[in-house]
Amino acid sequence: MFHWLEKNPFFFAVGVFIVIAYAGLIEILPNFAEAARPVKGLKPYTVLQLAGKEVYKKDNCIACHSQLIRPFKAETDRYGQYSLSGEYAYDRPFLWGSKRTGPDLHRVGNYRTPDWHANHMWNPKSVVPDSIMPAYKHQFTNVADLETAYAEAVTVKKVFGTPYGADIAPGKAAYEKELKTKILPEALKIATEMKRDDLIKMVKAGKVPEVVALVAYLEKLK
Amino acid sequence: MQSNATLEYDYTIAKLYMWTAVIFGIVGMTIGVLIASQLAFPDLNYLFGEYGTFSRLRPMHTNVVIYGFTVSGIFSTFYYVSQRVLKVSMGESKLLMGLGKLQFGLYLIAATGMVVSLAMGITASKEYAQMEWPLDALIVVIWVIWGVIMFGLIGLRREKTLYISLWYYIATFLGVAMLYLFNNAEVPTIFFSGGLGAWYHSVSMYAGTNDALVQWWWGHNAVAFVFTVPIIAIIYYFLPKESGQAIYSYKLSLLSFWGLMFVYLWAGGHHLLWSTVPDWMQTMGSVFSVILILPSWGSAINMLLTMKGEWNQLTKNPLVKFMVLASTFYMLSTLEGPIQAVKSVNAIAHFTDWIPGHVHDGVLGWVAFMIFAAIMHMAPRVFKREIYSKSLLESQFWIQTIGVVLYFTSMWIAGITQGMMWRAVDEYGNLVYSFIDTVSVLHPYYALRALGGLLYLIGMFMFAYNFFKTATAGRRLEQEPRYRSPMA
Amino acid sequence: MNGMIVKALVMAGVLIVGTLVVVKQMNIDLSDPINMITFIGAVAIAVLAFGVAAKYMAQMKNDTATGELAEDNWDGIGEYKNPLPSGWSWSFVGTMIWAIWYMLMGYPVNAYSQIGAWNKETKEYNKKFQAKFKNADKETLKDMGESIFLVQCAPCHGDTGDGMSGKAHDLTHRISKAQVLYVIKNGSHYFKYPIGAMPAGMAQGKAAEEVAAYVAGGLKGKAPAAWATCAGCHGQDGKGNGGQAPDLAKIDSTLINQVLTHGKKGSIGRMPSFANRFTPVQEKALAEYIKSLSSKE
Ligand code: HEC
Ligand code: HEC
Ligand code: HEC
Ligand code: HEM
Ligand code: HEM
Ligand SMILES: [Ca+2]
Ligand SMILES: [Ca+2]
Ligand SMILES: [Cu+2]
Repeated sequence: MFHWLEKNPFFFAVGVFIVIAYAGLIEILPNFAEAARPVKGLKPYTVLQLAGKEVYKKDNCIACHSQLIRPFKAETDRYGQYSLSGEYAYDRPFLWGSKRTGPDLHRVGNYRTPDWHANHMWNPKSVVPDSIMPAYKHQFTNVADLETAYAEAVTVKKVFGTPYGADIAPGKAAYEKELKTKILPEALKIATEMKRDDLIKMVKAGKVPEVVALVAYLEKLK
Repeated sequence: MQSNATLEYDYTIAKLYMWTAVIFGIVGMTIGVLIASQLAFPDLNYLFGEYGTFSRLRPMHTNVVIYGFTVSGIFSTFYYVSQRVLKVSMGESKLLMGLGKLQFGLYLIAATGMVVSLAMGITASKEYAQMEWPLDALIVVIWVIWGVIMFGLIGLRREKTLYISLWYYIATFLGVAMLYLFNNAEVPTIFFSGGLGAWYHSVSMYAGTNDALVQWWWGHNAVAFVFTVPIIAIIYYFLPKESGQAIYSYKLSLLSFWGLMFVYLWAGGHHLLWSTVPDWMQTMGSVFSVILILPSWGSAINMLLTMKGEWNQLTKNPLVKFMVLASTFYMLSTLEGPIQAVKSVNAIAHFTDWIPGHVHDGVLGWVAFMIFAAIMHMAPRVFKREIYSKSLLESQFWIQTIGVVLYFTSMWIAGITQGMMWRAVDEYGNLVYSFIDTVSVLHPYYALRALGGLLYLIGMFMFAYNFFKTATAGRRLEQEPRYRSPMA
Repeated sequence: MNGMIVKALVMAGVLIVGTLVVVKQMNIDLSDPINMITFIGAVAIAVLAFGVAAKYMAQMKNDTATGELAEDNWDGIGEYKNPLPSGWSWSFVGTMIWAIWYMLMGYPVNAYSQIGAWNKETKEYNKKFQAKFKNADKETLKDMGESIFLVQCAPCHGDTGDGMSGKAHDLTHRISKAQVLYVIKNGSHYFKYPIGAMPAGMAQGKAAEEVAAYVAGGLKGKAPAAWATCAGCHGQDGKGNGGQAPDLAKIDSTLINQVLTHGKKGSIGRMPSFANRFTPVQEKALAEYIKSLSSKE
């Protein structure tokens, strides 16, 4: 039979395809509906937090940080409660990572604060003298892309039914309103907690520095 | 059987991809050495402002070496090997030739787009699938063209039976096509938000655990269908061809191929051990990973046995050296991977440097070695010139071998130490080490790895020089060598 | 044995011994089952990969190619009709048997639950250590507390607990003037002391300055007049009226327990709560360690 396949490329290709395709069906599909269910009380990311997640992606913290606490005593002692599937229901993409050059961050919001992050992101060695994490000073001047984050919120609401309120709607006007009434006040709160005048000034001028959005996101990780 | 004499193979496309493999190899490995050094000496993070941090450069490294260097290597060998084992020339069909050139042009555009977008921090953040949707779309086009060419050539073939290498090229085409499409399913936000925000931004079709499942179904099999399957295609042609030996066993080729196809796809769960995917799926991932040892070793053993009694060639021909050592590194990584996939071992190995160690056994010792050997075997035949320098090739081999050994031994020790330190408890049952303790202890190993990488990179430069000289200044050949590649 | 194989095994040995030496330097307990299995796995990788590869290398040296050639030939490449190597075939069967064992007994697909395993492990662990150190003496607790402190608290309070030039509370002292002033101005309501919250504005202007200096100075010397207000809750000596309100003279176990449970917000900033992160013994240990820091002055 194999000799025959080797002389009949079409059927050969079909054979290969069948052999490689069904494993995925059996392994991936059964869990799909189950794993999509959020844990009770899980809130979707605010627009500011989404913008922070984009900073996390852009500066690629996932290169060094995981967001997955495995059910080992050593791990729950270090980071807190092991991770649950339902906690990730609004994570598109998932950001578990595959390398811990730095510590896990899935619950970092529980045990660090905005002003600690302000020190740490500006210069990690100022709080952890032996740190090998790069300083991210550019995040203190770069402006976060809130509009794209807002576009993402609208998209996941429309396409996947992520439970955002009626305010999250397409179009520039809705965005401007959200910006004034929700995003900037939330950012101001974080910036104030970060205790840096340059950040507070920027937010008051209507521009949210990347680091403020990032910290809003890190604070949500609990 | 038709005679070879009348057939002039057309290597235009193969040559183009040989050049890009060399260029991307230099770029990707230079970045590799830089990021390795940054972990040992963090001040190196600040050479290029926000564009030079470890985190921004790491995906640049992986993408350039995978989609630049390795994929170029795969395409160049495909455009060379497929003509020869099918006995058709690309030159016979204007259409196929045109498509080939188009594919290369689009490939260059996509690769440039990839580098620029990653530098800017535009990324979907899924490992080995960072590119955003416009580039995904382009890649699908490139892939489809490749499929048309592949099946076009097969349609025109004069050799009725498909050679083993082609089995693997066909599997590469199908595997990547299927996995890529599913994993990159994403929704561009611009279309749903009334035109707000960045046009290239998208969100994944899947969330959380589901996203992880699909991603590692891809991630694991990207390893399978980019670092394994096409590289086996390469070795099945170039080792017997260079050495003039017949393949040891058809049966072993057959079982290894279908075994690999059957088992590989199941093993992806080993990237998600102890995560929130169901326990039974994790166990399946472990089990199939261990079963995968034998289909993987089958190909390597088949190659090593093909060289039975040919010690002479091994000592005298650097290309054979590269390929034999590649087979053994392939054996090392396909035993190491499965053992790291055992749940208890993964509890330690996952998230540590032992994984990059495992990765580079495979990519440096197996993938890159095979690509070097294949390019050097093709060079005299496509440029009709002798290889410029044998001694350079010989030194490259040794320097790079030392480089790989330094890389994997240092990361092996570093990873195991780190993994065990994370778990270590004192006599009171409390964690002994703060996280930073487990980082500081790695410094010497990070430095050693950087040194190993530097050696490997030096070898890469020697190779590039040798290749360039071969193409432009090697001694002219009157006749195509039948087996062993001539070198000065 | 063949020289090649010996060399390969020596290489494997060097790698394994190297790993062992480094790991032992870090005081790793290799009798822990996970560590042990990992180590055995590492040995298996090194020995099998190097050893088997060397075996085939030896065949290149000493053997010759034989077999019946198949008819097909591609671009000059032939193919033997040799049988499967028997070692390979048997190992294949072996892995499948192992796989069945693993699915049925190792991590039974229908029964094993990683969360269940965690629950069991943690429960046993806590029971064991809780019992063992229930009545531990001060020195033991202090020692225990130090390692917890270094893992959990040092990133903010610094390795020595000095608060890293004002980034967090300097635990070697009770409290600074600025911190007291902040409390006087804003009140305090994070903890759960019997008296309840402390209202804002219990003193103003100069009076506030004076009490603040007095409290920060460790309540030594003559108390300023405004102290009377404070004494109503904190006691004349400032020691908290027998636990009714915080002791302002020194960091005591109650305060540490309150801070760990509820977190704190003050002039320096916010400290997150560590509720449910520690067992009672661990909390006691932390308190003992921190008290030892502040008693050094
Ligand atoms: C080169 C690796 C590396 C990169 C890249 C990196 N980190 Fe880190 N990170 C570390 C290390 C090592 C530590 C532990 C030492 C320390 O706290 O600085 C750490 C610690 C942290 C912590 C403290 C967590 C804790 O539990 O103490 C946070 C928060 C953090 N990083 C966030 C980030 C963010 C956000 C980014 C991306 C913008 C990032 N890191 C990029 C290596 C890295
Ligand atoms: C009504 C009772 C009451 C009075 C009067 C009072 N306190 Fe307090 N004080 C408390 C309580 C209760 C707390 C703990 C509050 C909490 O839950 O955070 C406290 C907390 C504090 C703390 C914070 C302890 C720490 O370590 O952070 C300081 C400092 C303090 N008081 C100083 C003073 C001074 C100075 C005065 C007088 C000007 C004063 N208190 C008057 C009840 C009182
Ligand atoms: C994210 C940073 C952070 C971490 C982690 C942290 N602390 Fe704190 N802690 C603070 C800050 C900031 C203060 C000061 C609050 C203020 O008064 O302004 C503080 C105050 C305290 C106080 C109060 C002293 C007083 O007199 O009121 C105690 C006790 C304390 N920390 C103990 C601990 C212990 C024990 C741990 C570890 C389990 C810990 N802290 C971890 C930031 C932190
Ligand atoms: C039998 C074959 C193999 C098996 C069973 C296997 C298994 C594994 C395992 C268990 C991991 C670690 C997952 C984790 O804990 O994070 C891993 C990672 C990896 N392996 Fe392999 N491996 C095999 C062969 C190879 C080969 C030959 C290569 C390359 C040439 C390779 C490249 C990689 C890469 C790139 C990763 C890193 C993935 C990531 O980014 O996390 N593997 N492999
Ligand atoms: C000069 C040689 C090289 C050096 C010094 C080097 C260095 C590195 C470093 C430092 C990392 C990051 C590890 C970490 O995050 O801890 C890395 C990751 C990676 N490299 Fe290389 N690299 C080199 C060559 C290559 C080549 C040739 C390939 C592929 C053909 C490759 C593929 C990868 C992959 C797939 C990863 C991701 C691994 C993972 O996520 O686990 N590298 N490399
Ligand atoms: Ca990875
Ligand atoms: Ca994509
Ligand atoms: Cu894998």
